[in-house]
Amino acid sequence: MDGLRRNARLVWRVWVFTMRSFLASEFFILTAILQPVIFASIAFFLFQAGGDAAGEHTLLWAALGTGMMGVWSTTLFGCGGAIQWHRWEGTLELLVAAPSRYDMVLLGQTLGASTFGFYSIVATIAWGMVLFGMPLNADFPLLLPVALAVAILSLGCLGMLLATSFVLYRHANALSNLLEYPIWIVTGMIVPLAVLPGWLGPISWVLSPTWAMEAIRGSAIGSEPPWLAMVLCVALAVVYYLIARRVLRFVLDKARRDATLALA
Amino acid sequence: MTAAAEALRQPTSAQPGSLRANLRLFWLGGLISYRALFNWARPSIYIPTLIGAPTFQILFFAALGSYATGIDAEFFAIGNAVQVSAMSGIYGMTMAIANERWFGTLHALLATPASRWAIFGGRFIPFIANGLLVSVYGFAISWIFLGVELRAEALGVVALGLLATVFSCSAIGAVQGGLSMRLRDGLFGANLLVFLFLLFCGVNIPLEVLPGWMQAVSQVLPFTHGLQAVRAAVDGAGLDQVGGLIAIEFGIGAFYAVLAFGLFSFLERSARQNATLDVR
Repeated sequence: MDGLRRNARLVWRVWVFTMRSFLASEFFILTAILQPVIFASIAFFLFQAGGDAAGEHTLLWAALGTGMMGVWSTTLFGCGGAIQWHRWEGTLELLVAAPSRYDMVLLGQTLGASTFGFYSIVATIAWGMVLFGMPLNADFPLLLPVALAVAILSLGCLGMLLATSFVLYRHANALSNLLEYPIWIVTGMIVPLAVLPGWLGPISWVLSPTWAMEAIRGSAIGSEPPWLAMVLCVALAVVYYLIARRVLRFVLDKARRDATLALA
Repeated sequence: MTAAAEALRQPTSAQPGSLRANLRLFWLGGLISYRALFNWARPSIYIPTLIGAPTFQILFFAALGSYATGIDAEFFAIGNAVQVSAMSGIYGMTMAIANERWFGTLHALLATPASRWAIFGGRFIPFIANGLLVSVYGFAISWIFLGVELRAEALGVVALGLLATVFSCSAIGAVQGGLSMRLRDGLFGANLLVFLFLLFCGVNIPLEVLPGWMQAVSQVLPFTHGLQAVRAAVDGAGLDQVGGLIAIEFGIGAFYAVLAFGLFSFLERSARQNATLDVR
């Protein structure tokens, strides 16, 4: 029980630290707030020009979609470089050598990144309401906070998997640059999967942003409660975490054996 | 050792300040600065960032644009195939200028009596070439996946429009580079510029759809006129029809290039006077 409390406290502390450090970063303000607002504007203009292709909820559809795109970008950049930054700052050895579990440190960091990303959704909704007169009403308002929570959890765990995978690649930021648009496409964040090629479907099923988007959109403008999407978010989060933990153990063991822990 | 490095090792008889010395500095200095200061030049970064990301950017906006508006994907493919050159023009030029300070070489550079025009101007060439390469690749992707076709007789005008656009984009990138010599995080402005081009310059949104003030802003930004010229040329317009647009795009580029040089000179003087050359 003590161990559980200690780990929860560790995750919480790192989560708070990550949120605060991102707030002081111009790059993450851009990624989480300015970039989604710009993409939301592009989407609003495009949907308006096309006569509201997504139906009566077009503006909210676009605001949630572009907001979620921002969440993904923040998670991607925040988690992709998580271990690399510790290397650059010379703190990785200290964290790995500490008696606290490093996977909990990383989990706090990646949950912090995905939580910070949710400023994007706030920003795009506010932008849509103020400048485009978007009405704000959720079909299942009580489910919306739950949907946001499972989305943060699932993206945080996916981020942890990314962080551990990217550590094998020296230029993690370049991979982050590469993975931004494809995930926006393949998870149907702004363009429904139904209008994309069918072979993208199975890829989207194993990516938690698909279900996170489905859960949030379902709570806001869905015809029925998005229970399935929420359950899948949690299930994928568990799978990602278990894989990430295993990969992390392998990577850290290898780095310690080869004496390459600090080598970027 | 590369040809450029080898050439620099050779003693030169050109007098400092002579035309020959300046041309040498312009050409070789540009090449060396590209290799030394452009963080993304190595393949492990170049391929994901300047080949992979533009590919998916084109596909993303083609999917979004055609879904949202019902307009043919070609419109979005061409817009983004041209705009992806900003990856080189904006980020590259920002790094090529601002990294002198970050890498600690600025004071050595500015201590030389070398012509600032030659130092500064030479940095454009590799990034213009690089931007053209990325855009040509973007057109190839658009042709392969989205069926965008370029007729042989349109190639010359398209290439000229593209050159003007990449030049003006690199020029505003140089302005950003100059500003970045004073900023804590120069890439913030570079990122913002790249995103704003997507919104303002008719890359994805037809200009007539934008509110009046945004259309007015778009007229002084790179891409707007060059992109119009490229689109028209793809549709069969000749140089006589789009020459004016291309000339405006070159003019906008020249304005930003002069502004960037002025800014660079001002910051150099100011940094010398205030002893802030290396202050970060």
